[in-house]
Amino acid sequence: MFTWRKSLLAALLLPCVVAIAACGSSNSSSSSASSASSTAASTAASTSTSAASSSSGGANAAVAKLVPAALKSKGTLTVAADATYAPNEFIGSDGHTVVGMDADLAKALAAVMGLKANVVNATFDTIIPGLAAGKYDMGASSFSDNKEREKTVDFVDYFIAGESFITKASGGTEISSIADICGKTVAVEKGTTEEADAGTQSKKCTSAGKPAVKILSFSDQNAANLALSSGRADLGFLDSPIAEYQVKQSNGQFKVVGDAYATGPYGLAVPKGSYAPALLAALKVLMQNGTYSSILSHWGLTSGAIPAAQVKINGATS
Amino acid sequence: MATSEQTDKRTGRPDEIEAVPVRHPGRWIAAVIVLVVGASIIKSIVTAKGFQWGVVGHYLFDSRILHGVLATIWLTFLAMAVGILLGVVLAIMRQSPNPIVSGASWLYIWFFRGTPLLVQLLFWFNIASLFPVINLGVPFGPALVSPHANSLVTTFAAVLLGLGLNEGAYMAEIVRAGFLSVPHGQTEAAQSLGMSRLQIMRLVVLPQAMRVIVPPTGNETISMLKNTSLASTITYVELTYSAQLIYSANFKTIPLLVVISIWYLVLTSVLYVGQYFIERRYGRGFTRAERASMRARWLGMGRGGGGGIA
Repeated sequence: MFTWRKSLLAALLLPCVVAIAACGSSNSSSSSASSASSTAASTAASTSTSAASSSSGGANAAVAKLVPAALKSKGTLTVAADATYAPNEFIGSDGHTVVGMDADLAKALAAVMGLKANVVNATFDTIIPGLAAGKYDMGASSFSDNKEREKTVDFVDYFIAGESFITKASGGTEISSIADICGKTVAVEKGTTEEADAGTQSKKCTSAGKPAVKILSFSDQNAANLALSSGRADLGFLDSPIAEYQVKQSNGQFKVVGDAYATGPYGLAVPKGSYAPALLAALKVLMQNGTYSSILSHWGLTSGAIPAAQVKINGATS
Repeated sequence: MATSEQTDKRTGRPDEIEAVPVRHPGRWIAAVIVLVVGASIIKSIVTAKGFQWGVVGHYLFDSRILHGVLATIWLTFLAMAVGILLGVVLAIMRQSPNPIVSGASWLYIWFFRGTPLLVQLLFWFNIASLFPVINLGVPFGPALVSPHANSLVTTFAAVLLGLGLNEGAYMAEIVRAGFLSVPHGQTEAAQSLGMSRLQIMRLVVLPQAMRVIVPPTGNETISMLKNTSLASTITYVELTYSAQLIYSANFKTIPLLVVISIWYLVLTSVLYVGQYFIERRYGRGFTRAERASMRARWLGMGRGGGGGIA
């Protein structure tokens, strides 16, 4: 039965429903602000494994001039890293802070630009789409700079690394190079250049009449390593510095086999057409004042130090 | 509610009652609100650039996606078959007067309902870390065959075991509920006729329990359809994994997630239809008269059908 009291109730509910619909239709990209405040505290109280607090100290005026105003007003760079890739990026002993060479470098670069860095953990294959969508300001996650990725993001090259194979130390699969993986099962992480290179090699195998490479793609490197140790995969295929570090950490369970493949630069990923020049200038400052080499030697990665001539934006050759 | 107070001057009898149908303006107001809000939500979804509907259309019938759809259908069917069979066996074991048998069934159900499905799948996939070689033979005695764990438990077998064994635990409870719904008098009458326990179960209890077992089983099947997406974490090529491989290479994450959402919705809708027919068949002899037809409900918007809010 119609009564005024009941229709008043309906009329009060109407604005609430309309407000919810209006929120859904606006494109808000404020997610980075909320994540920044919650993790800024934990990264500030960060770990003793960080080597970023060395000679660079404060901002460099010349570099800070190149930083876009929008970033300066935000004050914090949201840096995404897939923290399953020690020693470049991994979760520290406190259980939630992202630490490693990439995290230290990102913080040092932000400091030179007069900004703070908030390093967050993200699944590897969501980082580049996240940069394109404005969710992150930088991707510092051992990205190999290649032409395919340069279509979506800009890279500032900062490190040299190749790809290596690992296998079980006893009873593992012996190979000498990538050409030997035909018919073998290889565990890779989704979205990596290793996944793509294994796929390319598989096509080469089948056109040469050999069996294809069986590629198992996992969402993180830990799952890939587990598949290797349980024997699901014959080989793991991952970046060389990571391979060496993880072999060392495995206490004799794994070993590196075969030659490194496709040595090339790592790039720090930034949204296309944004602040790559500022980042490049900041990197050059770090290389001049010795912070870059001290970060690398802290993590045992000096062999991957990039020659000055290769420090550029979008320097991929393939 | 106007009753004519006037009396017909000629005969002295009151005029016929002027019955005014009950108005439901609130139903109309509510309908308009829902339609307007719904239309504005649909418009925001259709026009949001992030969806890239063009890319969605391009990948909707991609051969890798279709291959994934078929694998998902096949996996759902097989895993439910294993789950239902196992569930019936476990429920019957639970009914057993033998405490060891009934206790074993309880333990199985407790363990497989008590651990997350994702963790179960990871254990089956990496089982060789625990048992590099599986010895099949006499328990505590000689082994007849000793295959390597990874040859016996292939990725497909790991997925089937993970999904099927987990489902078996949930189905066991559903089947047990079905047994409980059959009046005990049925069992007593059958016993007085001299039927064995197996005959009673097969001929009297189970057929009547089906009416109560089918709707939650339909629910479980729909749930299983979505749970198969967990197989993507152990690299089994079903729908979600196929989409993940595509978007890790071309970075079009959101459109591909929309593609697989559409496919999951389509498959779920097909299951709805299947469930309707199965329920009808097992509900013969029980269901009351059909609900008021749709036409009568639409008419109720304007008039008639009292009660309810506004």
